[in-house]
Amino acid sequence: MSRADLAAGKVIRMSLRFRLQHFLLMMLLLVLAVTGFALMYHDNALAQAIIRIEGGVQNRGVVHRIAAVLLLANLVYHIFYMLFSREGKAEFRELLVTRRDVDDFLQALRYNLGTEKEYPRFGKYGYREKFQYWGATVGILLIGFTGFMLWAETFSMRFFPKFILDLALIIHGYQGLLGFVLLFLWHLYNVHLHPSVFPMNPAWLTGKVSTEWLRREHPLEYEKLKGEGLL
Amino acid sequence: MRKFLFAVVVFLGGVVLPGFARDAGAAISLEKCTLCHGKPEFRKLLVDGAIRDLFVTGDSLKGSVHEKKGCTDCHFDVNEIPHRERPKRVTCTHCHYKGNREGAPQSDNVLAYFDSAHGKAIAAGNAKAPLCQDCHGSHQILKVKNPESKVSRFKVAETCGRCHMEIYAKYKTSIHGVALSKGIADAPSCTGCHGEHRIYAHTDPKSTVYPTRVSEQCSKCHASVAIMSKFGIETEQVATYNESFHGVASKFGSRTVANCASCHGVHDIRPPDDPLSTVNPRNIPKTCGKCHPGANANFAVGKIHVDAKKKESGIIYWTATFFKYLTICTMLALIVHIFLDMYGRTRRLRGER
Repeated sequence: MSRADLAAGKVIRMSLRFRLQHFLLMMLLLVLAVTGFALMYHDNALAQAIIRIEGGVQNRGVVHRIAAVLLLANLVYHIFYMLFSREGKAEFRELLVTRRDVDDFLQALRYNLGTEKEYPRFGKYGYREKFQYWGATVGILLIGFTGFMLWAETFSMRFFPKFILDLALIIHGYQGLLGFVLLFLWHLYNVHLHPSVFPMNPAWLTGKVSTEWLRREHPLEYEKLKGEGLL
Repeated sequence: MRKFLFAVVVFLGGVVLPGFARDAGAAISLEKCTLCHGKPEFRKLLVDGAIRDLFVTGDSLKGSVHEKKGCTDCHFDVNEIPHRERPKRVTCTHCHYKGNREGAPQSDNVLAYFDSAHGKAIAAGNAKAPLCQDCHGSHQILKVKNPESKVSRFKVAETCGRCHMEIYAKYKTSIHGVALSKGIADAPSCTGCHGEHRIYAHTDPKSTVYPTRVSEQCSKCHASVAIMSKFGIETEQVATYNESFHGVASKFGSRTVANCASCHGVHDIRPPDDPLSTVNPRNIPKTCGKCHPGANANFAVGKIHVDAKKKESGIIYWTATFFKYLTICTMLALIVHIFLDMYGRTRRLRGER
């Protein structure tokens, strides 16, 4: 934390590396969604217009696959970074799911329903962030697997009968849909619509959040930083 | 006054008489033609050794659509008997055009023909390309509804097969050919798919069998419950194809992607349980292998025309249904969560103040 940041009451939440990964992830998911859903709902007039813009159904596939490869590359880079870099390892520890997250979730639920007095106190990443993070990681791995299976269809069918590929197609499409439902109703809610951040949590652009926000939303992290004398 | 009457007579004569004169001159009576052509042995030895039968009698046109016509109505270049030169090929367009006053059907088929593959070939100088009479016949032209007609539903394949021999041989043993030979009028003959006068090369985008239009052409019958229910054939094959990768790519203009004919064959379509069928499970690796090099027996495991919305699709239906409800439930749960969370958050804010 630089002095200027501290003076302005700001704390770094996302380093430049993570912001770049996040930005790449966001753009690629958008490209994949636009090209993918256009094919999934090809009867829809808007989908047809999108396919025409993309240069026909053949080019649509090429764009979708390029984005998919870049996304996987992004993921592989991310995994290596999380497992082997100093910053990554620290983040990874913060992101591990523990028993406590389940309790936090249930406590938050009880609090929201009015049967609990105390709202759970989160560390750097609460159950919301962890659910989003692991959901996205596992989701991308799975959708990537079915995607590559369908891409190399002849190769896949050396090992799987045709109906497994039909199944892969169904899963691939619905998983994409489910992923976007989660992105919109969970992630975008948490970082845009949630009253504490509305209209937007600036961390994905500037990397910084206000110390006050951290104290209220992630008190354990706030106290940890305070204890380390970083605030 | 007399001068005026004379003028009227001359005028009327000028109008009417040439008609009489033409009729008198052109309509050479049948008897005159059959003087020679009525002899059964009247034939000509051609330079290549073939014999051209020139035997024609008053019965030659009997029963045909031209029953009431005389020889020179069509062979109008014969104006003296005996004719010195061989009469030219009959030009049907003499009468058969839209707006004709000879009583021929008012149709522009002749124009469509000139635009077709056959008409273009004729125009390009291909002497083997068919003219009207090559398909419709010469003296015994019958209405298409008449089963004996050369262009009737049951006979047209044979007629086309006079030139397209190999295709005819394939078609004859195909499911459509066999059905037609059994007298099933719903089965398509050549013209059922290719059209009649508007026949184009399959590489011409105007053709009804152009790659991107094949599924549309097949679906005319194969999507019809009324027709297919008679034979116990499923009708959703077209819909499932349209939903598949192949169908979508075809819809968006890919000419290389598989259409109905790529897998089922063109003229040699056979039912899947026929060992010679291209879609017989044992032949599927080879058929799919045309586009997917290295295709193996796995290509035949599982239904090809699969519809995830139908229970008969088994695990595929159940997976799709599971995901459908999973997605709906997730959406509902998340929306409920958002409202709960916002409510709770408001309480927290109030508490902090």
